[in-house]
Amino acid sequence: MGKKEKSDKLEIANRELAFQNEEKEKRAAELFIANKELSFQNDEKKKRAVELTASNKEVDELEKRVKERTEDLEAFSYSVSDDLRTTLRAINGFEKMLEEDYTTVLDAEGKRLLGEVTSNAKKMGVLIDDLLTFSRLGRKGITKSSIDINKMLETVLSEINQSTIHTAEIKFSNLLPAVADYNLLQHVITNFLSNAIKYSSKKEKPLTEIKSKRKNGELIYSVSDNGSGFDIQYVNKLFGVFQRLHSDEEFSGTGVGLEIVQRIIHKHDGKVWGRRERRARRNLLFQLTR
Amino acid sequence: MENDTVEILLIEDNMNDAELAIRALRKGKINNNLIHLKNGAEALVFLLGTGKFEGRDISKKPKVKLLDLKMPKVDGLEVLMRIKANELTKAIPVVALTSSNEHPDIERAYSLGANSYIVKPVESMNLRKSLQTLVLLATEESTSCLNKETKMLAN
Repeated sequence: MGKKEKSDKLEIANRELAFQNEEKEKRAAELFIANKELSFQNDEKKKRAVELTASNKEVDELEKRVKERTEDLEAFSYSVSDDLRTTLRAINGFEKMLEEDYTTVLDAEGKRLLGEVTSNAKKMGVLIDDLLTFSRLGRKGITKSSIDINKMLETVLSEINQSTIHTAEIKFSNLLPAVADYNLLQHVITNFLSNAIKYSSKKEKPLTEIKSKRKNGELIYSVSDNGSGFDIQYVNKLFGVFQRLHSDEEFSGTGVGLEIVQRIIHKHDGKVWGRRERRARRNLLFQLTR
Repeated sequence: MENDTVEILLIEDNMNDAELAIRALRKGKINNNLIHLKNGAEALVFLLGTGKFEGRDISKKPKVKLLDLKMPKVDGLEVLMRIKANELTKAIPVVALTSSNEHPDIERAYSLGANSYIVKPVESMNLRKSLQTLVLLATEESTSCLNKETKMLAN
Protein backbone atom coordinates (compact mmCIF):
# COMPACT_ATOMS: atom_id res chain seq x y z
CA MET A 1 0.00 0.00 0.00
CA GLY A 2 1.38 3.45 -0.90
CA LYS A 3 1.69 6.34 1.49
CA LYS A 4 -1.10 8.25 -0.19
CA GLU A 5 -3.40 5.30 -0.01
CA LYS A 6 -2.66 4.83 3.70
CA SER A 7 -3.31 8.44 4.57
CA ASP A 8 -6.58 8.35 2.63
CA LYS A 9 -7.74 5.34 4.58
CA LEU A 10 -6.74 7.00 7.83
CA GLU A 11 -8.63 10.07 6.79
CA ILE A 12 -11.74 8.00 6.16
CA ALA A 13 -11.33 6.16 9.42
CA ASN A 14 -10.87 9.44 11.24
CA ARG A 15 -13.98 10.89 9.66
CA GLU A 16 -15.89 7.76 10.53
CA LEU A 17 -14.67 8.05 14.11
CA ALA A 18 -15.61 11.69 14.26
CA PHE A 19 -19.04 10.85 12.93
CA GLN A 20 -19.47 8.07 15.42
CA ASN A 21 -18.31 10.38 18.19
CA GLU A 22 -20.83 12.93 17.08
CA GLU A 23 -23.53 10.23 17.08
CA LYS A 24 -22.47 9.14 20.55
CA GLU A 25 -22.68 12.69 21.81
CA LYS A 26 -26.10 13.03 20.24
CA ARG A 27 -27.19 9.79 21.91
CA ALA A 28 -25.73 10.95 25.18
CA ALA A 29 -27.66 14.17 24.87
CA GLU A 30 -30.82 12.24 24.05
CA LEU A 31 -30.17 9.92 26.93
CA PHE A 32 -29.65 12.88 29.18
CA ILE A 33 -32.97 14.32 28.10
CA ALA A 34 -34.66 10.94 28.49
CA ASN A 35 -33.15 10.59 31.93
CA LYS A 36 -34.38 13.99 32.89
CA GLU A 37 -37.82 13.09 31.58
CA LEU A 38 -37.72 9.86 33.55
CA SER A 39 -36.70 11.54 36.75
CA PHE A 40 -39.42 14.13 36.20
CA GLN A 41 -41.92 11.36 35.69
CA ASN A 42 -40.62 9.65 38.79
CA ASP A 43 -41.10 12.82 40.76
CA GLU A 44 -44.60 13.15 39.36
CA LYS A 45 -45.31 9.56 40.33
CA LYS A 46 -44.10 10.19 43.84
CA LYS A 47 -46.26 13.30 44.01
CA ARG A 48 -49.24 11.32 42.74
CA ALA A 49 -48.57 8.58 45.29
CA VAL A 50 -48.53 11.17 48.05
CA GLU A 51 -51.72 12.70 46.67
CA LEU A 52 -53.30 9.26 46.39
CA THR A 53 -52.44 8.40 49.97
CA ALA A 54 -53.92 11.70 51.05
CA SER A 55 -57.11 11.22 49.08
CA ASN A 56 -57.34 7.60 50.26
CA LYS A 57 -57.12 8.89 53.78
CA GLU A 58 -59.81 11.39 52.91
CA VAL A 59 -62.03 8.61 51.53
CA ASP A 60 -61.47 6.55 54.66
CA GLU A 61 -62.31 9.57 56.75
CA LEU A 62 -65.45 10.23 54.72
CA GLU A 63 -66.53 6.60 54.95
CA LYS A 64 -66.05 6.72 58.68
CA ARG A 65 -68.13 9.87 58.90
CA VAL A 66 -70.89 8.43 56.71
CA LYS A 67 -70.98 5.34 58.92
CA GLU A 68 -71.18 7.44 62.05
CA ARG A 69 -73.90 9.62 60.57
CA THR A 70 -75.89 6.54 59.47
CA GLU A 71 -75.63 5.05 62.94
CA ASP A 72 -76.70 8.35 64.47
CA LEU A 73 -79.62 8.56 62.11
CA GLU A 74 -80.73 5.02 62.85
CA ALA A 75 -80.49 5.56 66.58
CA PHE A 76 -82.38 8.80 66.12
CA SER A 77 -85.20 7.28 64.08
CA TYR A 78 -85.41 4.47 66.61
CA SER A 79 -85.82 6.84 69.50
CA VAL A 80 -88.18 9.11 67.56
CA SER A 81 -90.42 6.22 66.61
CA ASP A 82 -90.34 5.07 70.23
CA ASP A 83 -91.54 8.48 71.38
CA LEU A 84 -94.15 8.60 68.62
CA ARG A 85 -95.43 5.22 69.67
CA THR A 86 -95.71 6.36 73.28
CA THR A 87 -97.77 9.37 72.28
CA LEU A 88 -99.91 7.33 69.95
CA ARG A 89 -100.52 4.76 72.67
CA ALA A 90 -101.94 7.54 74.84
CA ILE A 91 -104.22 8.73 72.01
CA ASN A 92 -105.48 5.19 71.43
CA GLY A 93 -105.87 4.49 75.12
CA PHE A 94 -107.85 7.60 75.94
CA GLU A 95 -109.94 7.18 72.83
CA LYS A 96 -110.82 3.70 74.02
CA MET A 97 -111.78 5.08 77.44
CA LEU A 98 -114.09 7.58 75.78
CA GLU A 99 -115.60 4.82 73.71
CA GLU A 100 -116.10 2.51 76.69
CA ASP A 101 -117.43 5.01 79.20
CA TYR A 102 -119.07 7.79 77.22
CA THR A 103 -120.63 6.06 74.30
CA THR A 104 -124.10 6.65 75.75
CA VAL A 105 -123.43 10.39 75.97
CA LEU A 106 -122.21 10.73 72.38
CA ASP A 107 -124.65 11.12 69.51
CA ALA A 108 -124.11 9.59 66.07
CA GLU A 109 -121.92 12.44 64.85
CA GLY A 110 -119.85 12.32 68.04
CA LYS A 111 -119.28 8.63 67.52
CA ARG A 112 -118.31 9.20 63.89
CA LEU A 113 -115.75 11.80 64.91
CA LEU A 114 -114.34 9.43 67.49
CA GLY A 115 -114.11 6.77 64.79
CA GLU A 116 -112.08 9.19 62.65
CA VAL A 117 -109.65 9.69 65.52
CA THR A 118 -109.29 5.92 65.92
CA SER A 119 -108.72 5.17 62.26
CA ASN A 120 -106.17 7.96 61.89
CA ALA A 121 -104.33 6.83 64.98
CA LYS A 122 -104.28 3.31 63.57
CA LYS A 123 -102.84 4.58 60.32
CA MET A 124 -100.16 6.47 62.15
CA GLY A 125 -99.26 3.28 63.99
CA VAL A 126 -98.70 1.50 60.68
CA LEU A 127 -96.62 4.42 59.49
CA ILE A 128 -94.38 4.30 62.54
CA ASP A 129 -93.95 0.54 62.21
CA ASP A 130 -93.02 0.92 58.54
CA LEU A 131 -90.54 3.62 59.36
CA LEU A 132 -89.01 1.49 62.07
CA THR A 133 -88.69 -1.47 59.70
CA PHE A 134 -87.03 0.86 57.25
CA SER A 135 -84.45 2.11 59.72
CA ARG A 136 -83.82 -1.36 61.08
CA LEU A 137 -83.01 -2.70 57.62
CA GLY A 138 -79.96 -0.47 57.52
CA ARG A 139 -78.38 -2.35 60.37
CA LYS A 140 -79.36 -5.88 59.40
CA GLY A 141 -76.86 -8.08 57.59
CA ILE A 142 -78.05 -10.55 54.96
CA THR A 143 -77.75 -14.34 54.99
CA LYS A 144 -78.21 -15.82 51.54
CA SER A 145 -79.65 -19.23 50.77
CA SER A 146 -81.30 -20.88 47.78
CA ILE A 147 -85.03 -20.13 47.80
CA ASP A 148 -87.91 -21.84 46.04
CA ILE A 149 -89.92 -18.78 45.00
CA ASN A 150 -92.98 -20.91 44.18
CA LYS A 151 -93.15 -22.16 47.76
CA MET A 152 -92.48 -18.71 49.12
CA LEU A 153 -95.34 -17.29 47.05
CA GLU A 154 -97.71 -19.92 48.39
CA THR A 155 -96.71 -19.11 51.97
CA VAL A 156 -97.10 -15.37 51.41
CA LEU A 157 -100.40 -15.84 49.61
CA SER A 158 -101.90 -17.92 52.39
CA GLU A 159 -100.84 -15.21 54.86
CA ILE A 160 -102.45 -12.52 52.71
CA ASN A 161 -105.60 -14.60 52.38
CA GLN A 162 -105.87 -14.78 56.16
CA SER A 163 -105.86 -11.03 56.58
CA THR A 164 -107.43 -9.77 53.34
CA ILE A 165 -110.61 -10.65 51.56
CA HIS A 166 -110.05 -10.50 47.81
CA THR A 167 -111.11 -12.13 44.57
CA ALA A 168 -107.79 -11.83 42.75
CA GLU A 169 -106.51 -14.66 40.62
CA ILE A 170 -102.79 -15.19 41.20
CA LYS A 171 -100.94 -16.89 38.35
CA PHE A 172 -97.44 -18.35 38.57
CA SER A 173 -95.69 -21.60 37.78
CA ASN A 174 -92.17 -23.02 37.68
CA LEU A 175 -90.47 -19.85 38.81
CA LEU A 176 -86.68 -19.92 38.91
CA PRO A 177 -85.10 -20.32 42.35
CA ALA A 178 -83.35 -17.30 43.82
CA VAL A 179 -80.34 -16.92 46.06
CA ALA A 180 -81.20 -14.32 48.67
CA ASP A 181 -81.94 -13.65 52.33
CA TYR A 182 -85.13 -15.58 53.04
CA ASN A 183 -86.83 -13.15 55.42
CA LEU A 184 -85.95 -10.08 53.43
CA LEU A 185 -87.06 -11.58 50.12
CA GLN A 186 -90.30 -12.69 51.74
CA HIS A 187 -90.82 -9.07 52.70
CA VAL A 188 -90.35 -8.04 49.05
CA ILE A 189 -92.71 -10.73 47.77
CA THR A 190 -95.32 -9.83 50.38
CA ASN A 191 -95.12 -6.17 49.41
CA PHE A 192 -95.40 -6.84 45.65
CA LEU A 193 -98.18 -9.35 45.98
CA SER A 194 -100.31 -7.42 48.46
CA ASN A 195 -99.87 -4.25 46.42
CA ALA A 196 -100.86 -6.04 43.22
CA ILE A 197 -103.95 -7.40 44.96
CA LYS A 198 -104.74 -3.99 46.43
CA TYR A 199 -104.34 -2.02 43.21
CA SER A 200 -106.31 -4.48 41.10
CA SER A 201 -109.10 -4.90 43.65
CA LYS A 202 -111.45 -2.54 41.82
CA LYS A 203 -111.34 -4.53 38.56
CA GLU A 204 -114.02 -7.00 37.73
CA LYS A 205 -111.58 -9.86 37.26
CA PRO A 206 -108.45 -8.92 39.15
CA LEU A 207 -105.43 -10.82 37.94
CA THR A 208 -101.84 -10.87 39.15
CA GLU A 209 -99.10 -12.69 37.27
CA ILE A 210 -95.64 -13.52 38.52
CA LYS A 211 -92.96 -14.50 36.04
CA SER A 212 -89.24 -15.11 36.11
CA LYS A 213 -86.49 -15.23 33.54
CA ARG A 214 -82.75 -15.41 33.22
CA LYS A 215 -81.04 -12.62 31.36
CA ASN A 216 -77.26 -12.22 31.01
CA GLY A 217 -76.73 -14.36 34.07
CA GLU A 218 -79.12 -12.24 36.14
CA LEU A 219 -82.48 -13.35 37.48
CA ILE A 220 -85.44 -11.13 36.83
CA TYR A 221 -88.77 -11.52 38.59
CA SER A 222 -91.78 -9.61 37.42
CA VAL A 223 -95.10 -9.04 39.15
CA SER A 224 -97.84 -7.51 37.03
CA ASP A 225 -101.49 -6.87 37.68
CA ASN A 226 -104.40 -5.59 35.67
CA GLY A 227 -105.14 -2.89 38.23
CA SER A 228 -105.35 0.83 37.95
CA GLY A 229 -101.76 1.16 36.80
CA PHE A 230 -99.53 4.06 37.54
CA ASP A 231 -98.86 7.17 35.59
CA ILE A 232 -95.60 6.50 33.74
CA GLN A 233 -94.74 10.15 34.15
CA TYR A 234 -94.29 9.60 37.87
CA VAL A 235 -92.67 6.19 37.69
CA ASN A 236 -89.47 7.53 39.28
CA LYS A 237 -91.58 8.51 42.28
CA LEU A 238 -92.52 4.91 42.98
CA PHE A 239 -89.48 4.51 45.16
CA GLY A 240 -88.94 7.04 47.90
CA VAL A 241 -90.09 7.32 51.48
CA PHE A 242 -93.65 8.65 51.75
CA GLN A 243 -94.01 8.92 47.97
CA ARG A 244 -97.46 7.91 46.86
CA LEU A 245 -99.03 7.84 43.44
CA HIS A 246 -102.57 7.36 44.67
CA SER A 247 -104.66 9.41 47.02
CA ASP A 248 -105.77 7.87 50.26
CA GLU A 249 -109.34 7.75 49.07
CA GLU A 250 -108.32 5.58 46.11
CA PHE A 251 -106.00 3.21 47.93
CA SER A 252 -104.69 3.37 51.49
CA GLY A 253 -101.01 3.11 52.28
CA THR A 254 -98.11 4.89 53.89
CA GLY A 255 -95.69 5.13 50.98
CA VAL A 256 -92.84 3.49 52.81
CA GLY A 257 -93.34 -0.04 51.45
CA LEU A 258 -91.57 0.21 48.11
CA GLU A 259 -88.72 2.16 49.61
CA ILE A 260 -88.16 -0.75 51.98
CA VAL A 261 -88.29 -3.12 48.99
CA GLN A 262 -85.73 -1.05 47.17
CA ARG A 263 -83.44 -1.04 50.15
CA ILE A 264 -83.66 -4.83 50.44
CA ILE A 265 -82.94 -5.38 46.76
CA HIS A 266 -80.01 -2.95 46.84
CA LYS A 267 -78.61 -4.88 49.77
CA HIS A 268 -78.58 -7.87 47.43
CA ASP A 269 -76.74 -5.82 44.76
CA GLY A 270 -79.84 -6.10 42.61
CA LYS A 271 -82.18 -3.51 41.19
CA VAL A 272 -85.90 -2.85 41.18
CA TRP A 273 -87.99 -0.85 38.78
CA GLY A 274 -91.51 -0.30 37.58
CA ARG A 275 -93.01 -0.02 34.12
CA ARG A 276 -96.36 0.23 32.47
CA GLU A 277 -97.35 -2.62 30.24
CA ARG A 278 -99.80 -2.73 27.39
CA ARG A 279 -103.36 -1.96 28.41
CA ALA A 280 -102.02 0.09 31.32
CA ARG A 281 -101.07 -2.89 33.41
CA ARG A 282 -98.91 -2.27 36.40
CA ASN A 283 -95.65 -4.14 36.30
CA LEU A 284 -92.97 -4.17 38.99
CA LEU A 285 -89.73 -6.00 38.47
CA PHE A 286 -86.69 -6.85 40.49
CA GLN A 287 -83.39 -8.34 39.50
CA LEU A 288 -81.05 -10.40 41.59
CA THR A 289 -77.46 -11.33 40.81
CA ARG A 290 -76.90 -15.03 40.69
CA MET B 1 -105.28 -11.00 102.55
CA GLU B 2 -103.64 -8.18 104.45
CA ASN B 3 -104.41 -4.73 103.24
CA ASP B 4 -100.89 -3.42 103.25
CA THR B 5 -99.52 -6.22 101.09
CA VAL B 6 -98.49 -4.81 97.78
CA GLU B 7 -99.39 -7.31 95.14
CA ILE B 8 -98.54 -5.44 92.00
CA LEU B 9 -95.80 -2.88 91.78
CA LEU B 10 -96.04 -0.72 88.69
CA ILE B 11 -92.88 1.22 87.88
CA GLU B 12 -93.73 3.61 85.07
CA ASP B 13 -92.61 7.17 84.43
CA ASN B 14 -95.16 7.99 81.75
CA MET B 15 -98.36 9.15 83.46
CA ASN B 16 -100.53 8.31 80.48
CA ASP B 17 -99.21 4.77 80.27
CA ALA B 18 -99.64 4.39 84.02
CA GLU B 19 -103.23 5.65 83.94
CA LEU B 20 -104.06 3.30 81.07
CA ALA B 21 -102.46 0.34 82.83
CA ILE B 22 -104.15 1.00 86.18
CA ARG B 23 -107.53 1.45 84.56
CA ALA B 24 -107.17 -1.66 82.42
CA LEU B 25 -106.19 -3.72 85.43
CA ARG B 26 -109.06 -2.36 87.49
CA LYS B 27 -111.46 -3.23 84.68
CA GLY B 28 -109.96 -6.69 84.48
CA LYS B 29 -110.22 -6.94 88.28
CA ILE B 30 -106.53 -7.66 88.77
CA ASN B 31 -105.38 -4.54 90.52
CA ASN B 32 -105.12 -6.02 93.99
CA ASN B 33 -103.24 -3.45 96.04
CA LEU B 34 -101.43 -1.89 93.18
CA ILE B 35 -98.71 0.62 93.92
CA HIS B 36 -97.48 2.95 91.23
CA LEU B 37 -93.95 4.32 91.47
CA LYS B 38 -92.89 6.96 89.02
CA ASN B 39 -89.26 6.19 88.42
CA GLY B 40 -86.43 3.73 88.88
CA ALA B 41 -84.87 5.47 91.86
CA GLU B 42 -88.21 5.46 93.70
CA ALA B 43 -88.63 1.76 92.97
CA LEU B 44 -85.25 0.95 94.46
CA VAL B 45 -85.80 2.87 97.69
CA PHE B 46 -89.27 1.33 98.01
CA LEU B 47 -88.04 -2.23 97.57
CA LEU B 48 -85.05 -1.77 99.84
CA GLY B 49 -86.99 0.21 102.43
CA THR B 50 -84.64 3.18 102.41
CA GLY B 51 -85.04 6.94 101.88
CA LYS B 52 -88.66 8.06 102.07
CA PHE B 53 -89.71 4.43 102.51
CA GLU B 54 -87.47 4.04 105.59
CA GLY B 55 -89.16 1.70 108.02
CA ARG B 56 -91.39 -0.01 105.48
CA ASP B 57 -91.69 -3.72 106.18
CA ILE B 58 -89.63 -4.98 103.25
CA SER B 59 -90.54 -8.59 103.96
CA LYS B 60 -93.84 -7.65 102.36
CA LYS B 61 -92.76 -8.08 98.82
CA PRO B 62 -94.86 -7.41 95.77
CA LYS B 63 -95.94 -10.56 93.97
CA VAL B 64 -95.09 -9.15 90.64
CA LYS B 65 -93.34 -6.09 89.30
CA LEU B 66 -94.35 -4.38 86.10
CA LEU B 67 -91.25 -2.50 85.09
CA ASP B 68 -91.05 0.06 82.30
CA LEU B 69 -87.69 -0.28 80.57
CA LYS B 70 -87.39 3.24 79.28
CA MET B 71 -87.23 5.73 82.10
CA PRO B 72 -85.06 8.78 82.64
CA LYS B 73 -82.14 8.65 85.12
CA VAL B 74 -82.40 5.16 86.63
CA ASP B 75 -83.88 3.18 83.75
CA GLY B 76 -85.64 -0.18 83.87
CA LEU B 77 -82.57 -2.18 82.99
CA GLU B 78 -80.65 -0.68 85.88
CA VAL B 79 -83.50 -1.33 88.30
CA LEU B 80 -83.60 -4.90 87.04
CA MET B 81 -79.88 -5.33 87.52
CA ARG B 82 -80.01 -3.95 91.05
CA ILE B 83 -83.02 -5.98 92.25
CA LYS B 84 -81.79 -9.21 90.72
CA ALA B 85 -78.44 -8.71 92.47
CA ASN B 86 -80.10 -8.23 95.86
CA GLU B 87 -80.97 -11.32 97.92
CA LEU B 88 -84.04 -9.62 99.36
CA THR B 89 -85.62 -8.77 96.06
CA LYS B 90 -84.25 -11.15 93.45
CA ALA B 91 -87.08 -13.69 93.70
CA ILE B 92 -89.82 -11.20 92.77
CA PRO B 93 -91.01 -11.92 89.22
CA VAL B 94 -90.49 -9.04 86.84
CA VAL B 95 -92.59 -8.28 83.79
CA ALA B 96 -90.77 -5.81 81.56
CA LEU B 97 -92.89 -3.17 79.84
CA THR B 98 -91.77 -2.07 76.40
CA SER B 99 -93.17 -0.09 73.52
CA SER B 100 -92.28 -2.51 70.74
CA ASN B 101 -92.13 -6.22 70.16
CA GLU B 102 -88.74 -5.92 68.58
CA HIS B 103 -87.08 -3.60 70.97
CA PRO B 104 -83.42 -4.53 71.56
CA ASP B 105 -83.98 -3.84 75.26
CA ILE B 106 -86.22 -6.92 75.57
CA GLU B 107 -83.26 -9.21 74.99
CA ARG B 108 -81.16 -7.31 77.50
CA ALA B 109 -83.98 -7.39 80.02
CA TYR B 110 -84.19 -11.18 79.73
CA SER B 111 -80.45 -11.53 80.12
CA LEU B 112 -80.70 -9.47 83.29
CA GLY B 113 -83.36 -11.76 84.73
CA ALA B 114 -86.73 -10.41 83.55
CA ASN B 115 -89.31 -13.21 83.57
CA SER B 116 -91.69 -11.97 80.91
CA TYR B 117 -92.52 -8.86 78.94
CA ILE B 118 -95.55 -6.92 77.78
CA VAL B 119 -95.77 -4.62 74.78
CA LYS B 120 -97.60 -1.57 76.09
CA PRO B 121 -100.36 -0.68 76.65
CA VAL B 122 -100.79 -2.95 79.64
CA GLU B 123 -104.20 -4.56 79.40
CA SER B 124 -105.83 -7.17 81.55
CA MET B 125 -105.49 -9.69 78.70
CA ASN B 126 -101.76 -9.35 78.11
CA LEU B 127 -101.04 -9.10 81.81
CA ARG B 128 -102.97 -12.31 82.49
CA LYS B 129 -101.01 -14.02 79.74
CA SER B 130 -97.75 -12.79 81.17
CA LEU B 131 -98.67 -13.93 84.67
CA GLN B 132 -99.60 -17.33 83.33
CA THR B 133 -96.14 -17.54 81.74
CA LEU B 134 -94.65 -16.76 85.13
CA VAL B 135 -96.72 -19.51 86.75
CA LEU B 136 -95.58 -21.97 84.10
CA LEU B 137 -91.96 -20.96 84.59
CA ALA B 138 -92.27 -21.28 88.34
CA THR B 139 -93.85 -24.73 87.99
CA GLU B 140 -91.13 -25.88 85.64
CA GLU B 141 -88.39 -24.70 87.92
CA SER B 142 -90.41 -25.69 90.99
CA THR B 143 -88.31 -23.25 92.92
CA SER B 144 -90.67 -20.59 93.97
CA CYS B 145 -93.10 -20.20 96.77
CA LEU B 146 -94.48 -17.39 94.63
CA ASN B 147 -96.02 -20.00 92.45
CA LYS B 148 -99.30 -20.18 94.30
CA GLU B 149 -99.57 -16.45 94.80
CA THR B 150 -98.80 -15.55 91.22
CA LYS B 151 -101.28 -18.16 90.14
CA MET B 152 -103.93 -16.45 92.22
CA LEU B 153 -103.22 -13.20 90.45
CA ALA B 154 -103.22 -14.88 87.10
CA ASN B 155 -106.65 -16.30 87.57
